Amino acid sequence: MTTLIINDKEYHLPLQGHETLLEVLRDQLGLTGTKTACQDAECGSCTVLINKKAVLSCLTLACAVAGEEITTIEGLAQGDQLHPLQQAFLDHGAVQCGFCTPGMILAAKALLDKNPKPTEEEIRQALDGNLCRCGGYLKIFDAVKQAGENLAKTKG
Amino acid sequence: MAMPNAHYQEFTQPVGKSVPRIDGRGLVTGQTKYTFDLAFPNMLVGKMLRSPHPHARILSIDTSKAEKLPGVKAIITAQDTHQIRFGSNEYFFPHTSDQMALELDKVRYVGDEIGAVAAVDEQTAEMALKLIDVKYEILPAVFDVLEAIKPGAPQIHENIRNNIALILPVNFGNVEKALKESDYVHEDQFFTHSAAHCCLEPHVCIGQWEDCSDKITLWVSTQAPFKIREALAKCLKKELNAVRVIKLPTGGGFGGKLEMLPMDFAACLLSKKAGGLPVKICYSREEEFSFSRRKHAMHYKLKSGVKKDGTLMAISGEIFADGGAYCSYGPTVLAAAMMRIFMVYKIQHFRITGYRVYTNTPISGAIRGFGGVQSGFSIESHMDLLARGIGMDPVEFRLKNITTANMVTTNKMILSTNGLRECIEKATQESNWKGKWSKQKHLSRGIGIGIAADVMGSKMYKAHESAGSIIKIEDDGSVYLFTGAADTGQGSNTVLSQIAAQELGVSYNRIRCTSADTEITPFDTGSFASRVTFISGNATLLAARDAKNQILNIVAEEYKMDPENLSLEAEKVINKKDNSVIITFDKALQLCYSFKYGRQIIGRGSYNPKTTPVDFRTGEGNVSGSYGFEAQIAEVEVNKETGEVKLLKIWDAHDIGKAINPQSVKGQIEGSITMGIGFTFTEDLKLKDGRVVNPNFANYRIPRSVEIPPIESILIETNDPQGPFGAKGMGEAALLPTSAAIANAIDDAIGVRIKDLPITPEKILRALREKEKTEIKDKKEREL
Amino acid sequence: MLLNPFKFHSPQKLEEAVSLYNSLPGVRILAGGTFLINNLKLLKKKGLKTPENIISLRRIDELKGISCHKKELSIKALTSVSELYSSLSLLEYSQIFKAVSRNLATTPIRNMATIGGNLMCRYCWTEFPALLIALKANLHFIATDLKEEAVPVEEFFKNSAKSEKILTRVTLTLDPQNCICYQSVRKSSSVDIPLLAVCIKTKFSKKRFSETIVAVNNGTSFARRDSVLENFLNQSECSIKTADESSQHLDTSLYDASRDDYKEHMFRVTIKNTLRELMTGRHP
Repeated sequence: MTTLIINDKEYHLPLQGHETLLEVLRDQLGLTGTKTACQDAECGSCTVLINKKAVLSCLTLACAVAGEEITTIEGLAQGDQLHPLQQAFLDHGAVQCGFCTPGMILAAKALLDKNPKPTEEEIRQALDGNLCRCGGYLKIFDAVKQAGENLAKTKG
Repeated sequence: MAMPNAHYQEFTQPVGKSVPRIDGRGLVTGQTKYTFDLAFPNMLVGKMLRSPHPHARILSIDTSKAEKLPGVKAIITAQDTHQIRFGSNEYFFPHTSDQMALELDKVRYVGDEIGAVAAVDEQTAEMALKLIDVKYEILPAVFDVLEAIKPGAPQIHENIRNNIALILPVNFGNVEKALKESDYVHEDQFFTHSAAHCCLEPHVCIGQWEDCSDKITLWVSTQAPFKIREALAKCLKKELNAVRVIKLPTGGGFGGKLEMLPMDFAACLLSKKAGGLPVKICYSREEEFSFSRRKHAMHYKLKSGVKKDGTLMAISGEIFADGGAYCSYGPTVLAAAMMRIFMVYKIQHFRITGYRVYTNTPISGAIRGFGGVQSGFSIESHMDLLARGIGMDPVEFRLKNITTANMVTTNKMILSTNGLRECIEKATQESNWKGKWSKQKHLSRGIGIGIAADVMGSKMYKAHESAGSIIKIEDDGSVYLFTGAADTGQGSNTVLSQIAAQELGVSYNRIRCTSADTEITPFDTGSFASRVTFISGNATLLAARDAKNQILNIVAEEYKMDPENLSLEAEKVINKKDNSVIITFDKALQLCYSFKYGRQIIGRGSYNPKTTPVDFRTGEGNVSGSYGFEAQIAEVEVNKETGEVKLLKIWDAHDIGKAINPQSVKGQIEGSITMGIGFTFTEDLKLKDGRVVNPNFANYRIPRSVEIPPIESILIETNDPQGPFGAKGMGEAALLPTSAAIANAIDDAIGVRIKDLPITPEKILRALREKEKTEIKDKKEREL
Repeated sequence: MLLNPFKFHSPQKLEEAVSLYNSLPGVRILAGGTFLINNLKLLKKKGLKTPENIISLRRIDELKGISCHKKELSIKALTSVSELYSSLSLLEYSQIFKAVSRNLATTPIRNMATIGGNLMCRYCWTEFPALLIALKANLHFIATDLKEEAVPVEEFFKNSAKSEKILTRVTLTLDPQNCICYQSVRKSSSVDIPLLAVCIKTKFSKKRFSETIVAVNNGTSFARRDSVLENFLNQSECSIKTADESSQHLDTSLYDASRDDYKEHMFRVTIKNTLRELMTGRHP
């Protein structure tokens, strides 16, 4: 039995060893918020946080990260209350088709958790692994900047 | 009373406000299920059987070994079908119904579908494909457009001579005379390449053909569910009402999901053969790049003339479009490529002949811009060169020749509101054109302009292209909007909800929108040609008005007033005469549903723009109810040593009539420009021997966050009299002039002209070397 | 499933990893996964043989961390590229590691990829070999008898970057006089593979180059030193003229232009620009 800790919840799964974290999330646990658009480590839609760092779940073996802190998009909102990033994405028109959005938000969260006042350059770099075909990058940068400011306010 | 979108602030009068997406919460929390995410109990996995050859006759297909594989539930080939041909432009061009869902006799490109398998899992389905024994007689293939039209070239479709699917000759005035009268005549050739849509959600569908009821349901990621229904019914030989197509939240379309693909057909038929079990077919990214749709590569030959004072006298030439193996939306793409020129330039003498040519390559179809991108690059680069030829500022040249408001173009398009002049003036003002053009060569910097026009739909599918909306308001005050319009991420559900709320005079957060289900929602041709805000928006406005009138009639009856004197504003029924409040919206609804009246409020709206389809023999036709316009300016800096082009900034001034949701509009503009930047520099769908050789994001690069320059979008509101609240459409136009604006800016910066896309450092360096050689040669000649 | 089945092992001690590695059949090492997992997907797609056993090094603390002892910097094999990008523990080499790491793929990949994987994956166009050759690094491997074996990095890449042992760490000698510069250029705007990566290390002595190492990676073979350019530079002074003339003193066997004008031009320009950058004061 492998224990995965996802969004502060423990899942005990009979894994064989060769399952990627992406497949376990989507196919076994029904957490379809994490997407995949390429399976080639290029699109970033499969981004999750492991120990607060943005990583690609399509390149991660589920067994390799047993017991580590895994965060998916489903873990951000607290019941009815959206995470400031989620709210900022809505407020700034940073969501179009939404397929890249979960990965994008998590990559942004990894940045803001370390650095709540990033420059635009730092935001661009943190999101360089997440493709958005609808082309919403500029609004996404605005949303991340705003979310950072809101997070700093609630903390400080 | 629970409000559907209680989390949003109260938004009354939401038109013109950047309200959050109505479906946004599900998207940011990852809870929204796309077709990609859905799994039904006992669902089977389907895979397509494809030709490995670009051109071959099918001699035999033996499925016996595959059928014996445990876990395989159904296999189909053309023998299981009615062998009916379909196409996407068949209304105007019946002969373009050239494709079978599963080919019977011949395959015409690498990837052409000839069968399909449904099995318990992906591995079994893939193994089954390998066990199907297909015998082909390989035929000579042709991959190049000019080779394909030569006599003696391999014939791809029967009865189509020289592989020319379509010739569109557009001829107005007297081009020869006009060229003779010109002071400067210029000839050019431009080449645009093929590109891919790269929607993040791939093509995916789930088909179910229920045994008991003989009902077919297709859940699908699409822009045009009604179009798919029509094609499915035709090919499966069923009545339209036996087929239900449900469009689920969709991860991008961009023109690639505008029609039925063989996979949609196969999912349904496999389901029938498997006893009614649902079958899901999902493309891998490699299949997306290789076997869905691609952009027509085009070759423009142009010869135009101008007078010394800048008057554009004549445009002439030929366009060769590489259509791939089947027609898809090719004819409309070619037509649109040509028609757009008339929207922006006053031109009397015009002769361009367009050829859409078959080649044994993956199918070229509709992709954002519909031929307008290829046209935008070629024509706007050409115009720039004409201006330079007479020593005129390209902006002045445009201003001299552009169309105006309230005019009819040479090809009978009726332009009512036209903000093109204002767009050009605003863009040049914001970018400081006068201070920069031709003045920054010492810094290897340059600035360039491109202009374009947007349509709001075009009749290319049926005799009508109307949209319909239904609004029902229940006694708790919830407003349900049913629209056939397909939201693929551009935000149509949101915009239509805003229009409904505005017209009804209620808060935006009362609206609950259901869209694009052929069983539940009214007909809508689909999300293409930037038509949704204008056409579906008008239908929604009319439905809202109808519902409002029903409510006001009841209130009028109750309070013994003339309904003409009542209005609904800010959730209150108002007496227009003295602005007094009669009752609240909620109380009005309760009145409607009371014992006394018991009246359900159901509003209906249907809108068909007053347009004419393009007469493809002459090129005439008022294709759109209204036209949008834009001017785009790009500023670049070129590294002459490495050939790298740095995009400094892009300004886009856009006549959008009225921005229903300004943030959404700007999002569309920025998104389109981003796609335009990709097309200009890094996106290049490469084919070798008919096969896509870079079917992945590593080797086909779409723009990333680090590559986008600052983009300033300027919205010009001309308040179109026909659009809902004055709105025109928005979706495509912003990428039409991008490549040309950049190429023009590079010419300004370093004096070289790139005429074939994509623009690479290699091409820039080669052009610089050629320029140097020419300058040395000229210098020597002068010295002699 | 994306991958063919295999047995997964996650030892917590290096000793255990070595023992498993030497005893299991069809075994591959998993570090960050950015190379291996994609490789396994590709092998499956092509119907080729895939490993029966995978050993993940992730839990082994002995393979993590950066330390310094008596001017010797020790970078453990599982150090991620992100850590190399931002770590100040790399002391005077922090800037150059940042320069090399910056262009490596994308943020999530940098978070996952390790220096060990970058060196051992046997893709010839990876980023760190050129840098480590220029810095005369040593690679340390652990043998069955658990003894550490040091191999100069240049030698390792001359022998096709192969080893039967597990890489544990990379060591570098700190030297405040070292001036290093790194530049890389992409093959084309539509692909993410480098055309050329150059790392040049030198010491400026009386405005002249000395003890110069030029490590070159042309994307088609493992990183190597350009001794022709090194010799030229060691006899030259620190000037723009030297940079401009550098392209005439190259070991042409390392720069396969294949009669491609653009490639040839970019090779020359990249070398020249690297030298210019070096000379305008990019010191550690």
